[in-house]
Amino acid sequence: MANTQQQADVVVLGSGPAGYVCAIRLAQLGKKVTVVERGELGGVCLNVGCIPSKALIHAGSVFERAVHGSEMGIEIKGASVNMPKLIEWKSSVVKKLTGGVAQLLKANGCTVVAGDAKFTSPKTMDVKTKDGVVTLSFNTCVVATGSRPTKLPGFEVDQKKILDSTGALALQEVPKTMLCIGGGYIGLELGTFYSKVGTEVTVVEGFSNLLGMVDPDLTRVVQRKLEKRGVKILLSTSVKGCKPAKKGLDVTLTPKDGKEFTQNFDTVLVTIGRTPNSDGLGFEKAGLKLDSKGFLIVDAYRRTNVPHIYAIGDIAGQPLLAHKGSKEGIVAAEVIAGKKTSYDVIAMPAVIFTDPEIATVGLTEAEARAKGIDVKVGIFPLAANGRALSMAEPEGLVKVIGDGKTGRLLGVHIVGVEASNVIAEATIAIEMGASVEDVALTVHAHPTVPESLMEAAEAALGHAIHIYQKKPTAPQATAARV
Amino acid sequence: MQFKLPELGEGVHEGELVKWKVKVGDMVGYDQSLCEIMTDKATVEIPSAFKGKVGSIDAKEGETVHVGQVMLTFESAEGTKTAATGASAGASGGNGTTTQAPAPMSAAPAKTAPSTPSKAPSSPSASSYSAGSAGPATENLSIESRPLAAPSTRRLARESGVDLGRLSGTGPHGRVMREDVETFVRGGGAGAIAGGAPSFKAPIGRTSIPAGQMEERVPFKGLRKKIAEKMRLSKDHATHFTYVEEADATALVQLRAQAKEIGAKQGIKVTYLPIVMKAMVASLRKFPILNSSLDEEKQELVYKHYFNIGLSIQTEDGLTAPVVKDVANKSILQIAKEIEDLVTRARAKKLTQDDFHGSTITLTNAGSIGGLFATPIINYPEVAILGFNKIFRKPVAVMVNGKEEVQIRDWTYFSISLDHRVVDGAVGAEFMVDFIKYIQNPSLLVLEG
Repeated sequence: MANTQQQADVVVLGSGPAGYVCAIRLAQLGKKVTVVERGELGGVCLNVGCIPSKALIHAGSVFERAVHGSEMGIEIKGASVNMPKLIEWKSSVVKKLTGGVAQLLKANGCTVVAGDAKFTSPKTMDVKTKDGVVTLSFNTCVVATGSRPTKLPGFEVDQKKILDSTGALALQEVPKTMLCIGGGYIGLELGTFYSKVGTEVTVVEGFSNLLGMVDPDLTRVVQRKLEKRGVKILLSTSVKGCKPAKKGLDVTLTPKDGKEFTQNFDTVLVTIGRTPNSDGLGFEKAGLKLDSKGFLIVDAYRRTNVPHIYAIGDIAGQPLLAHKGSKEGIVAAEVIAGKKTSYDVIAMPAVIFTDPEIATVGLTEAEARAKGIDVKVGIFPLAANGRALSMAEPEGLVKVIGDGKTGRLLGVHIVGVEASNVIAEATIAIEMGASVEDVALTVHAHPTVPESLMEAAEAALGHAIHIYQKKPTAPQATAARV
Repeated sequence: MQFKLPELGEGVHEGELVKWKVKVGDMVGYDQSLCEIMTDKATVEIPSAFKGKVGSIDAKEGETVHVGQVMLTFESAEGTKTAATGASAGASGGNGTTTQAPAPMSAAPAKTAPSTPSKAPSSPSASSYSAGSAGPATENLSIESRPLAAPSTRRLARESGVDLGRLSGTGPHGRVMREDVETFVRGGGAGAIAGGAPSFKAPIGRTSIPAGQMEERVPFKGLRKKIAEKMRLSKDHATHFTYVEEADATALVQLRAQAKEIGAKQGIKVTYLPIVMKAMVASLRKFPILNSSLDEEKQELVYKHYFNIGLSIQTEDGLTAPVVKDVANKSILQIAKEIEDLVTRARAKKLTQDDFHGSTITLTNAGSIGGLFATPIINYPEVAILGFNKIFRKPVAVMVNGKEEVQIRDWTYFSISLDHRVVDGAVGAEFMVDFIKYIQNPSLLVLEG
């Protein structure tokens, strides 16, 4: 196979939501861009992450509504899930979006090289393509290699019985039973989907609570609904190993304060975290420094320790969120083009598509208290929100965290229907430096879920309308709790 | 221990921080000069009220600082500042058997603030990106301590090299508005933040052009900016006209020669200025309108029954105008001594706010360099400024015993700029005729004084 040489100005390594956004912005700013991708354009997010999982999760909700919509008087007999067809539809959604990325890159004049890249020096990389090795030399490189599901020793992923998140998005039939190892967001999102389409789901989590650092007021609502749906949740429990059985796998589980036991599951879904893609890429040849967890170390301009190499997205560290990567992509592109940009983000929203959804932005109550802030909390239950009730989704709440001294809005934490959309308003409010009062004083359309954000802000100030708040006994109430 | 900007003088609430004289880590003693603050026209040195090690400098050169504002923070002996509570990334999503990175989502809220930049202390960011380096300092802060500003304003600040944390916003609750950044940039503060390279000491007109550069941009700030504001203010209000008259200065030169000799014995350097000032006072008594000011707000003319004469002095930083107070009740030698003191202190930048207080009219000595005469700009809200131009030797026709002859005399021109809203041309002309009478015959000052 021929070994070809190519000279590029800027190479973007990886085409996920960080990489492709960066490439397009670079092109907009007049740079000559080469994108290198070893898998599909669009990265994890578009192909095996955000998008396909949301497609399935939405389908799961539609099905559940069809089956359990009887309280509204809707009766559908014989509703069922055609799994191959669902997966096909999901793939068509993915295809539309990845096709869009390909078109955008092309329209912006970016060159796409499909292949496996490896740095050979700080200024060169070899890309193994199907037509041979292309040696790319570049002036600037943006590393956007992303992350992958973390492997769990003793649970070799075969995407049949033992799945990771990628495999869980492509099953051709609904398993009868499933063990989700890891009570983080990926496990709960996919576990919820399978539970909705009929799988008997068990979630095992090593820690004493689900969803890590999410406000327990939010997690509680999700956990309650999971359990109501029949999902078994094993907290403070670890998995010891598994053995193939006649049918499925026998998994040995060890509760922290209990006796070890073995249970049979059709499938096991391993979602214990994500590992940065920093191995096998010749990072050491480029002189790139990693932190202890394998992420690249970057500065406010998303520059690594090698001045002409940038890193964005998951590979550049927490939080591992697509929109964080896209933002970094824009920042890096503008810095490369000589603009005075930096990663100046105050509010980074995060959304979990459980049922109900969780969406958060800013400080949690615990974090704010730990900082010694005079915290003002306002909570509004969705059970008092007309729109939530009219959707038969009364579970959930909106929690507003304010600075009692300055009145500044510091955080908004939502669990409930449409949380993923409502958080956008909270994000812009925090990013703009709004006060809790600003949110309370802004008219919110009726009947909508975001009204509950306004009411939560009112509650923080002590005078929500649609819940009864006792008049504070002290002249200045520091926290209004419902 | 925080050091706040002390009172700067009567009615003075703010000033421009011209220069820090200490830096972080310095050991500072009581009364040691910390910084130079330029108020209205005086640059004053601020002495330390504490003893200790400078922990942080909390105001930037070029910034407008207010009385009571925290200027710097002293580290106590223990020297511990409250450490930021870095929320440790608690793990989640694991099953106890692994030590992998926490599930991404769950760690997200803790990391909302962009703490990532601080991870790379050795990163090369500063080298080629110095213009924007002011940004990240503020951008590292957590939500509750970030300056209130919209993202677009923050971008503008970053692009202008302005650290938002250093601005006092004019919006609600101190919100920094787009206009605040623009005003700050116009005010020249940005340059100081961008690295402070341009020296305050280099007068704009005299900056040598570095080789290889077609032009150079120097922040317009400090005294230069103050002068610009005052000049603009004057021209915006007073309706200037300038009247020029010549004078035979022979007698003035003779008197000054005598006075110089006498002064030298007392260690006083006598110039022409004290004599000119006395002549001004003599005429101002007859034309009090020239010693007045117009209170535009109240629509009243304010006649001053005292004679404080501002004296413009050129320093390396620019023009400044301290005041010789109560000229009417002081002798020529006394005035000479005061002028000498003012000039010395002006050049050493040791003038205080009080030195600038309360002038009723100003005298500018334009003649030391050359030129026929100047058309000075009024030191607003005064209504008159007298220009004393060069004295030169000139042949003139003189009547001697009823016969004209040509003599070589000491000659000069006096120019006076007046606010025509207050003083009409004829009044100004009559003042000048009277004033020049004293200049040509200074002994009248003794006789009438």
